[in-house]
Amino acid sequence: MTDIRILFVDDEPDMREVVDVSLGLDRKFTMRACASGADALVTAAEWSPSLILLDVMMPVMDGPTTLANLRKNWRTAHIPVVFLTARTQAGEIEQYISLGARGVLSKPFDPMTLAASVRSYLPASASQHAS
Amino acid sequence: MSTKSIKAVLLVEDNPGDARLIREMLNEQGSHDTELTHVDCMSAAERHLAKRAVDIILLDPGLPDAQGLSAIRRAHAAAPRVALVVLTGLDDESLAEQALQEGAQDYLFKGQIEKRPLLRALRYARERKRLERLKDEFVSTVSHELRTPLTSISGSLGLLMGNAVGNLPAPMARLLAIAHNNSQRLVRLVDDILDIEKMEAGRIIFNFNRVDIRSLVAQAIEANRGFAERYGVRIRLEDGDIGADVRADPDRFLQVVTNLLSNAIKFSPAQNEVVVAVEKGTDMVRLTVRDHGPGIPVDFKPLIFEKFAQADVGDARQKGGTGLGLSIVKQIVDRLGGEAGFADADDGGTIFHVQLPCWDHVASLAIDRDAKPGAARLLLCEDDLDTALMLREQLRQVGYATDFAYSVSDALPCAVATQYHAVLVDMHLPDGDGVSLILRLRELAQYRDIPIIVISGDPSVGRDDLKSSKLNVLDWLNKPLDFARLVRLLAMPGAQEAKGRPRILHVDEDNAVARALSDIADVVTVNSIEAARRALKTGDFDLAVLDVSLAEGASPDLLPELRDSKNNLIPVVVFSGSGADLASEAQTQAALARSHTSIDSLIATVRDRLASWTTSVSREVI
Repeated sequence: MTDIRILFVDDEPDMREVVDVSLGLDRKFTMRACASGADALVTAAEWSPSLILLDVMMPVMDGPTTLANLRKNWRTAHIPVVFLTARTQAGEIEQYISLGARGVLSKPFDPMTLAASVRSYLPASASQHAS
Repeated sequence: MSTKSIKAVLLVEDNPGDARLIREMLNEQGSHDTELTHVDCMSAAERHLAKRAVDIILLDPGLPDAQGLSAIRRAHAAAPRVALVVLTGLDDESLAEQALQEGAQDYLFKGQIEKRPLLRALRYARERKRLERLKDEFVSTVSHELRTPLTSISGSLGLLMGNAVGNLPAPMARLLAIAHNNSQRLVRLVDDILDIEKMEAGRIIFNFNRVDIRSLVAQAIEANRGFAERYGVRIRLEDGDIGADVRADPDRFLQVVTNLLSNAIKFSPAQNEVVVAVEKGTDMVRLTVRDHGPGIPVDFKPLIFEKFAQADVGDARQKGGTGLGLSIVKQIVDRLGGEAGFADADDGGTIFHVQLPCWDHVASLAIDRDAKPGAARLLLCEDDLDTALMLREQLRQVGYATDFAYSVSDALPCAVATQYHAVLVDMHLPDGDGVSLILRLRELAQYRDIPIIVISGDPSVGRDDLKSSKLNVLDWLNKPLDFARLVRLLAMPGAQEAKGRPRILHVDEDNAVARALSDIADVVTVNSIEAARRALKTGDFDLAVLDVSLAEGASPDLLPELRDSKNNLIPVVVFSGSGADLASEAQTQAALARSHTSIDSLIATVRDRLASWTTSVSREVI
């Protein structure tokens, strides 16, 4: 495996496209996008991404619930999850970290540096493997 | 007809008779939740409003230190979101109308105040509070909703500007730069509006900690260097004291420094310098940010910390400001217990300053050193210094000494070092919640049965945990604090032997007086001479408060019978129709006429008499 797989989950189609181009600036990244938490659970189990970038506020299954469900499946339990959220308050970041998130990135983000931010959350093995 | 959700009423009235009338009307309608605070001048009102949440202000605009429209404006400025009802004279309807234009909710004619319109004013205030909350929620929701499309817009423009999809022809790049910059500005505007809204609604929780102000300022300067370069401005941090630690919320204080820096940078001409300095005083640390800009126009000076205030609208808009930055600075600094201001610099430009309490100073306040000797000592675990100081002051007046712990880690060593008679715990502490603190206190053998009272700003937090019998919490009080209830709790069995409260025999039929007295002493109220005689047999009293005209069979005959078990005469304060009855008796400490004396001044007199009692008791102890 030479690529780094990033699964991105957001219910907004425009947002998915912007993130897709932003992450694409890192040539080592291969992206897949999901529009809901439920899709993400299936795709994550099948595709085994190196990292999941997860929107917090989504209808039906929100980010924290999706994370909890990922943790329940042995295929996805180990995958690092980074939240991408429009509401970053001090308390919320701590809350997401305590839920088991690897990190929290805030919206709006700088599209030119998003890929680098995501890379910094990757486990050392995944990064080395690809570089 | 209930005024249930109106809890805190501030009455600003210098006429004791009028004040008493209003207090009685509010008491009569039986809303026990309503807490009336009475002050008799504008400066006291402003002090109160700066520290306490109030639901409605009843204002007499003829005060010793503020009159007419200016009184109304000052009250409104001190608490812009609080319902204001003006108590005006019959002959002054034009003032009343102006009051409404200034934002007052309603006016009532003094001398003709009746229960019905007064209660109606309270109900309006409640409705207004509800609408304010709806508005807050609306602003918050809209701002969040704006963020989603804004993220896509500024993200797409950012990618184009970054040549992520190929190089752009110059004219197209210029137009895209305009769109990109303005999308960034909208983002900042939404951020600032959300911040202001949260602060005004009191929804920002401050986490106070020890902060090294110099390194935090250096960090802010580093973060703003790129921004300064775009304006061709240098930022320089002057050499200064090392180790200027303050007590602040580091994230919020960083926001203050960032806003001041970005303001200074935007208004500095290119090739100029912004100079930042940190100086340590005795109680406060002072941060100054000096720019070499055009200075602040005189007309604009009073408005500088207002929302959306920009001196020269066109100019400031060009600078990309939101008009909220300095308003946010002011609000945060106020909440941090500090002070923000500005002055013209000697050779042009402006110097903004912020002062925050020194860490050492705050730490030295933790032990109550001014309490009366022998006073029962309480531990208050609370990270908001202003709240803590005010509660200490109130508790001191009813005979307690209050030490502070600002965090869970402060509280435990305090509790071990001193055996406290009761512990008051704020649910939100910077390094943990109140529940975990209480659990750890209960693990200490000497705190297994000590009364613990919870104080909370947020009724929802941790309440379920508190049902646990392991915590054994005496009661739960919400902010703003019902002080009378706190005093009653502290006087309950369990807290009882811990303290020495004076006992008052109250011979009267006035429940309002009885309630007010019970704030400062244990009170036995009786309404007949017979009952008074029985009460005297139940134990010693330190003072008697007597309305001789009301008590049936009233006569000076009771006086000689007012003795303690050692046969000493009990001092008496007479509070009656004319005040003249019994005034000449040697036993009488004070004689006050009901018609000319407010309950507050009666309490002040009683407190005064009891203070001499407390001193004599503590002498015996020593």
